[in-house]
Amino acid sequence: MSREVSLESTGEGQGFDSGMGASAAEAQPGDASPLEKSIEWSDIKGALVTQSRVIHALIMRETLSRYGDHKLGFLWAILEPLLMVTMIASVVSLMRGNSSESMPLVPFMITGFVPFFMFRNTMNQLKNAVASNRRLLGFPQVTTFDAIVARVLLEGGVLLSVFVFMLSMAYLIGFEFRVENPLGVLVVCLCLLLLGTGIGFVLATLIPVMPSVGQVSSLIFGRPMMVTSGLFFTAESVPEPFRGWLLYNPILHLMELMRSYFFYEFESPHGSWFYAGSWVVGTFTFGLLIHQALRRRAIVGL
Amino acid sequence: MIRLQNVSKRYKTAAGIRTILDDVSITFPKGHSVGILGMNGAGKSTLIRIIGDAEPADSGRIIRDCKVSWPLGFTGGFQSNMTARENARFVARIYGESTDYVEQFTEEFAELGKYFDVPLRSYSAGMRGRFAFSVSLACNFEYYLVDEALETGDARYREKFRRAFEERREQASMILVSHNEQTIRRNCDMAAILYDGKIEMYDDLKEAMRFYKLLQTRAA
Repeated sequence: MSREVSLESTGEGQGFDSGMGASAAEAQPGDASPLEKSIEWSDIKGALVTQSRVIHALIMRETLSRYGDHKLGFLWAILEPLLMVTMIASVVSLMRGNSSESMPLVPFMITGFVPFFMFRNTMNQLKNAVASNRRLLGFPQVTTFDAIVARVLLEGGVLLSVFVFMLSMAYLIGFEFRVENPLGVLVVCLCLLLLGTGIGFVLATLIPVMPSVGQVSSLIFGRPMMVTSGLFFTAESVPEPFRGWLLYNPILHLMELMRSYFFYEFESPHGSWFYAGSWVVGTFTFGLLIHQALRRRAIVGL
Repeated sequence: MIRLQNVSKRYKTAAGIRTILDDVSITFPKGHSVGILGMNGAGKSTLIRIIGDAEPADSGRIIRDCKVSWPLGFTGGFQSNMTARENARFVARIYGESTDYVEQFTEEFAELGKYFDVPLRSYSAGMRGRFAFSVSLACNFEYYLVDEALETGDARYREKFRRAFEERREQASMILVSHNEQTIRRNCDMAAILYDGKIEMYDDLKEAMRFYKLLQTRAA
């Protein structure tokens, strides 16, 4: 019972009593019976206003600390996938000529790497989301959730811009391609972002409590993921029984779907929305639950 | 007004469960600055963190119908790899104040000179205190929660802060935690004593001091 009461009344950071400026403006000083106050629309609005202010402030801070210090900061966000794509594309084209299942090679690589980075970079960024904002969590309205969401939004925004930028560059350089279903492509990107976010929520809250989780996660999600997720091959090109094994990896499914939506020339029989979607929803839910259960300890554990 | 209703807080420590607040109910009336007296380890800092919503209570409700500052103290709040300017703008954003105004006010009031653009990690404790107070003054809170930190900084700056605070006494009150009677006598007009998980409010400062002395001698 006591747990319920404290959740409701102390407002847990973003809660209704702590709506700060916004709810303060609405509540009359010396209100006759503030004790019986029920939750009203104005409270919810106040809480949402506070939440968006905090996330905005955190995004500004993250942008500054990541890209502000050195002039090359933002360039690096583009440079990393660019180098990867150029390197792998040249190796592959040397090995087997300039085609991958009839899809133009460079757009093929771009649609592999950048979306994959949406998963991997988001996850990596979230690892330290709580740790590197620890002091700011001392402000009552700043919560671990805000710190995590701010990083997701920033990472997603940056990589989406990088995606568009690189594809436009490839087009301008002379690679002919037409996007079959842009909305589908966007949804797949979002799924990869959510997958990274789900795991990121777990890592962000677990690592401060158990630092070894960080090392194990880089072992699993580092190179092995990058090699088996179909960044530079299609599932069709892998012989059975290996294909069946690789298809346990939901990211490979998302990559297949991505290419099917992107290229007119390619339809994959292997990408399953049901399989990939279940992973995304499951991971995301699991991440939120772990975060909800452990966030207090995550702050103390630092 | 800030009101605590049946608030309890316990900590699990190696030495067993420590009760900081045991079913405490207290009201901090508007327009009065309250000093909270208590011996070392009585839980004064925890109390002020609970009042400021920086830490959840185990049970009970806390009602704040005004703009309350974050607990001002040595720790907490500022990111030490950000400069004072960045920190000031961050605070302005999360409290919905004008970033330019807060930045400008803080820069002038804190008198940090060139250090305003230096990451906080290279600040001395006194400079940090000066910065924290200046930012909080810029935000125009109705309640300032102060955790011992008034003792930092040099005497001249302390005086400056006290005067600035005096000027806005009409709109702003202070809840001040200290074991230093001098600090409380100078800044507050009411006092509360935190002792053994219970808290008692005294309208009369003198009476509170007398009782606090009594407690100290009894403990010793």
